[in-house]
Amino acid sequence: MFDQLRAFHRPTSVATALRLSESERRAGGRGTFVAGGTDVVVAGDRSLRWIVDLTKLPLRYVKRRGRGLAIGATSTFADLEASAAVRRLADGIVAEAAGTAGSRQIRAMGTAGGNLANASPAADLAPPFLALDAAVVIAGGGGGGGGRRTVPLDAFFRGPNRTVLNGGLLVEIVIPPATAPRGGRAAWSFQKLGRLESDIAVVSAAAGVAVDAGGRCTWARLALGAVGPTPLRARRAEALLVGKPFDRAAAEAAAARAAEEAKPVTDVRGTAAYRREMSRVLVARALAECLERMGRTR
Amino acid sequence: MPRRTTHRAGGAKNAAGSGRASHGAVNDLVIHVKVNGEARRWTTAPGDLLLDVLRREGYWGVKRGCESGECGACAVLVDGEPVNSCLMFAAQADGRSLTTVEGVADRERLDVVQEAFLDHGAVQCGYCTPAMVLVTRALLARSPHPSEAEVRETLGGVFCRCTGYKKPVEAVLAAAKAGGGERSRPAARRAARAGKGARR
Repeated sequence: MFDQLRAFHRPTSVATALRLSESERRAGGRGTFVAGGTDVVVAGDRSLRWIVDLTKLPLRYVKRRGRGLAIGATSTFADLEASAAVRRLADGIVAEAAGTAGSRQIRAMGTAGGNLANASPAADLAPPFLALDAAVVIAGGGGGGGGRRTVPLDAFFRGPNRTVLNGGLLVEIVIPPATAPRGGRAAWSFQKLGRLESDIAVVSAAAGVAVDAGGRCTWARLALGAVGPTPLRARRAEALLVGKPFDRAAAEAAAARAAEEAKPVTDVRGTAAYRREMSRVLVARALAECLERMGRTR
Repeated sequence: MPRRTTHRAGGAKNAAGSGRASHGAVNDLVIHVKVNGEARRWTTAPGDLLLDVLRREGYWGVKRGCESGECGACAVLVDGEPVNSCLMFAAQADGRSLTTVEGVADRERLDVVQEAFLDHGAVQCGYCTPAMVLVTRALLARSPHPSEAEVRETLGGVFCRCTGYKKPVEAVLAAAKAGGGERSRPAARRAARAGKGARR
């Protein structure tokens, strides 16, 4: 299928990966980074002339970073599912989402960095990472130099399969420590609707909510997948929750607002109207689960 | 005439870590893999997929199905992890250990998983069976006593278009009961093999 491919590079350092990709770009041929291959090979772009493989880079790790976590870009979905630190993180929503990203073989191949860099609006890991205020570390790109920049995930996506990478390499996903106010609680939930859970999402949603000791919402994140050109945060719905008692009524109102913020399209997996309605349902379920996890269902 | 190669993919000799050939139209990569325990040296093109190379090299138990990562018929184990070989570049297999269904039986003695598939009649047309056996071995290696839900989730990654999942699920649960998990652990297998003397 890739019969035009004339170079397959297997660098062992990020610096070399960037140097190789930059010199290939200067030479003019089309090419790409690849890790698990679950997007690049399926896309089957026959015009590719070069590939820089990332699977030998030392980027397959999950590390504590202060009270938060740092996830190396080539960690696979299966790695995230198996990581005790990821399973403990935020009620396990990242591990849970990773476990829905296709069959076991796909999860053993596909990587966290690839899932984000491919920028599918339905990327399974995007909503949970958005709900966790994750950021991505990008090495290089934007016309040379090996400098690193950290970009909040909600400023990373630019459209379907478009990001701010600009030739740079996504090397790490950084998750700040979860914060709950003193005496309060925080809870998270991930929801996904597909024909089967392992299918590409028709709609997916992740929620994170913190409340103070009196049950008043101090912080909220609502993220939706597959209902817009990028994974998105429903900021008006988040704002609706903050400062008010977090209860069923607040959850239902926020879910309705989130559905208004969705920008779904019609495709083979669902109509725009269905996706909008399911956005409401999934956000409502996610917030209900947060309430349940906080042990203050009212 | 064998094709000339300048660098092996990811070879230590190549300071740039590049698998790119340095002259003319000679873009071939030489990769070194272990297949079913035996060292192999393959000359490949940069765009070759592992599925194509395995079948070209005679590992016909690796089946060509959808070629888009959906059906799982082409599953093989890479360092013990099940992958769809249609989505993996052959160059990415350099330096790694592959297991195909040809490497599962110990000469004439079938593996516990294969025996269980036979005992339970868990085969219809048979096209998906090699992949089912391999993903089962990987499952039992990490989870020797899986729940039925885990078994179903695992087998769901290999499409049977005869639609006969009931028998395979029973077979996998039986294989687990028969200690298939212990036997599937690479270290245990190596030890067992060493005890029996060297294999060809």
